[in-house]
Amino acid sequence: MNFDSDVVIGLEIHVELNTKSKLFCGCATAGSDTPNTRTCPVCLGHPGSKPVINEGAVDRILKLCKALECDVADALVFSRKSYFYPDMSKNFQITQFREPLGRGGTLRLSSDRQVGITRVHLEEDPAALVHPKGLAGSQYVLIDYNRAGNPLAEIVTQPQITSPKQAREFLNALMRILSYIGVFDSHAIIKADANVSIRESGYERVEIKNITGFKEIERALAHEVSRQRQVLRRGDSLVQETRSWDANRKTTAHMRTKETEDDYGYIFEPDLRVVEGMRARAKTINIPELPFQRAKRLVKEYELDAEDAHVMVSEQALADFFEELAERADPILSAQWLRRELLRVLNYADVPVSDSPITVDHLADVLSLLADKTISENTAQRLMELLIEEPFNVKEYVETEGLQQLSASDELKKYCQVAIENNPEAVKDFRSGKQKSLHYLVGQVMRATHGQAEPQKTRELLLKLLG
Amino acid sequence: MIREHAARVRAGEQSASEYVQRALARCEELDKQHSFFTVITREQAQAQAQHIDKQVRDGDDPGPLAGVLVSVKDNLCVQGVETTACSRILRGYQPQFSATAVQRLVNAGAVIIGKTSMDAFGFGTFNQNVGLGYQTPTNPLDASRVTGGSSGGSAAATQALNEFAHVSLAESTGGSIECPAAYCGVYGHCPTYGLVSRNGLISYANSLDKVGVLACNPADISLVMQVISGPDEQESTSLRASPQAGDVETVGVVSDAIAQAEPAVRDAFASFVKTLESKGYDIVDVELPVTSKYGVAAYYVLAMCEASTNLASLSGLRYGQEQSKKDISFNEYFTRVRSKHFNTESKRRIMLGTFARMAGYRDAYYKKCTQLRTHIIQEYEQAFEKVDILLSPTMPTSAPTVDQVRELSPAQMYAMDRLTVGPNLAGIPHASVPLKLPDGLFAGAMVMGWQLRDEQVLRFTEGCQ
Repeated sequence: MNFDSDVVIGLEIHVELNTKSKLFCGCATAGSDTPNTRTCPVCLGHPGSKPVINEGAVDRILKLCKALECDVADALVFSRKSYFYPDMSKNFQITQFREPLGRGGTLRLSSDRQVGITRVHLEEDPAALVHPKGLAGSQYVLIDYNRAGNPLAEIVTQPQITSPKQAREFLNALMRILSYIGVFDSHAIIKADANVSIRESGYERVEIKNITGFKEIERALAHEVSRQRQVLRRGDSLVQETRSWDANRKTTAHMRTKETEDDYGYIFEPDLRVVEGMRARAKTINIPELPFQRAKRLVKEYELDAEDAHVMVSEQALADFFEELAERADPILSAQWLRRELLRVLNYADVPVSDSPITVDHLADVLSLLADKTISENTAQRLMELLIEEPFNVKEYVETEGLQQLSASDELKKYCQVAIENNPEAVKDFRSGKQKSLHYLVGQVMRATHGQAEPQKTRELLLKLLG
Repeated sequence: MIREHAARVRAGEQSASEYVQRALARCEELDKQHSFFTVITREQAQAQAQHIDKQVRDGDDPGPLAGVLVSVKDNLCVQGVETTACSRILRGYQPQFSATAVQRLVNAGAVIIGKTSMDAFGFGTFNQNVGLGYQTPTNPLDASRVTGGSSGGSAAATQALNEFAHVSLAESTGGSIECPAAYCGVYGHCPTYGLVSRNGLISYANSLDKVGVLACNPADISLVMQVISGPDEQESTSLRASPQAGDVETVGVVSDAIAQAEPAVRDAFASFVKTLESKGYDIVDVELPVTSKYGVAAYYVLAMCEASTNLASLSGLRYGQEQSKKDISFNEYFTRVRSKHFNTESKRRIMLGTFARMAGYRDAYYKKCTQLRTHIIQEYEQAFEKVDILLSPTMPTSAPTVDQVRELSPAQMYAMDRLTVGPNLAGIPHASVPLKLPDGLFAGAMVMGWQLRDEQVLRFTEGCQ
């Protein structure tokens, strides 16, 4: 393979699909956290038990294949991947080996950057291993089979990611897509393995396993790139090996060399049928407009700038909010206000956009009052902070509380005069040329009026009064 | 016979409990001599029988198999009853659910009298490979001879309990119903693959395993098949299609199979064919060269590959035998448990089956044999375009002695399956008809039909009585 960049990264990502029950049995994928309470003979691998495919998992993986623009295989075929490990109920995993359901896809990061997707396939999750005293300190390991048999989508990228930062970008984009198509529980964890190589070694590939959560990805990859460079600087050479990421120690450690890689002894899974007609089935599955396409459209239709559009599509609920609001208020102002103010108060209250108590109506009112200068920006911001506590009718509230900003009124003139009287030093400084002092006086008026003074008008009045 | 018995029980003419008591006494007697059973389910059988009698008293219908005695091969799960596939590694294991076929029988009023002996996991042709610590069953017709396998306990019990309304639920992967049926002089039927749910069957080779029935007459088999067949939502390879009937005009006699049988078997088979001729059937010669040459190899490679994955789950964790010393690595732990409890044949098949699917060998062995299997299936399909029924001897010999079997090398043992592997690979329905030999032993005539023509095979078999 011919590489161009300094760093070459390929990712293998595992995502838990949000089905109600497991991939091959009826056990619940969520619920009781007491260990080994969501199990049955099938997911425990009892003698005589037989797997039955969860059709909902198949629909979800087809959705994912479509969203990643994959070629869909017409037949759904599973294999047995054999290896002995305590987290394996059957000491083989039912997965897809020769015939992944999706091949040759693409994930678009921006109009000029994309990452190829080699394959997408379906497989079952092993059990969870619990080291009671941490990886190093435990004398025994506990196994919780609640997770055993959960449906996983495995996504393998082409080695086209060129930096740890881009890897994080890629994962962000992937998670957004997963969230848009609704196959992923955003509280669930993403796991990834990575292949990392650098130019200086002639692209000798090292595999990093056991990276949990997308925040760890950038860290682990940056560490590995740095480690590889150090090895070479020392005059040693790199070997093709598998290393494990330790999130506590923030290092990778050698696991095994490629030569001693497990032979998984694949055979076709004889307890499951080959199911044909996947292509036709994929055609009947609808996927929503995806983030990349939607951002493009928002730029085109609403003349947003690319960055605002990018933020709007970061969550489907936010993009929906925006488009509804943009019918009633200026789109660019809407985008800015959503980005700066709505997200601010929602994040502070730890409420997702989809659960926002502040509605499009509320925001439309706020923006209309702002647009006709009835209220100041400060007031508008405060309204947002109040709305998140308890929703109310914005226009009525402004009226009742008298929050209209003072502009061309005698009252404002009075406040200006008071400010001038009370701040002789500032007046003197201004008269001797310090423009900043005017700003200070405006600030004093704002304070005295609890932010309701219209700043522009205040400035004009002060200038007039100061001669 | 079982139909009449069930009728009497339902009519209140025969107490199920009383009948079961007698049968259990006989079972216990026989078991001391011949070791057909791994477990005699005395308490459960009595409870089931009492329940049936109560239903009859209350005016409820206990079902079409009311009071019929059923023994169950030890690789079929019976809830709450020790089920081990006759292997020490599963000693003490009590399934949390019954196999679908077992449950359907119980729902129809049958009484489970016990689990029968088998070659551990089904790995054997003579039932001489019972698990470590298990007794080897002996042929009720001649105790110096083997029962055949792997459903040896089932076949032997069927012969020995022939005065009772008894059938045995068993299983075939490469001939494990037909072989012991022939050796013990009873009828055995192996249905189309997928017709009977494999849910609750401890898998040997999942693409080859079929649940079937042994009985002293074919009408009993038909009745049981009606109860146990049919789709099962919990088992993905279970068929929705129904078995078909059909007239039989032409019978194909597999000449390359006959050539491989002993003279006594050939003679008995020839007489059998003559009686069919006199009944008006058109008899033609059929050759199955691919099956004849490659059947055993294709079967064993595929079966062992699948078996080696199935047996991987037996590692001393979650169920079955465990080891108290656990302060060692997992690799060391399961190696000890497996080495200790698997018998020699199990180890042999795990090793060969693992080897044949390793990278570098998988194409030459596993993949090649899946392709061979397709050719074998096509060979049968083409044969059935010319004939309605195929016929061959079930086994090349009658039941050998224990000593004779001891002399066989593994390869020679595997070669003894050469007449039964074909229909098993093709997933076609087949039944063994007992042919009495001059020396009092039996040979078998194997009746085969195309896929799903189970009714046709059973009707024809009934006509052979």
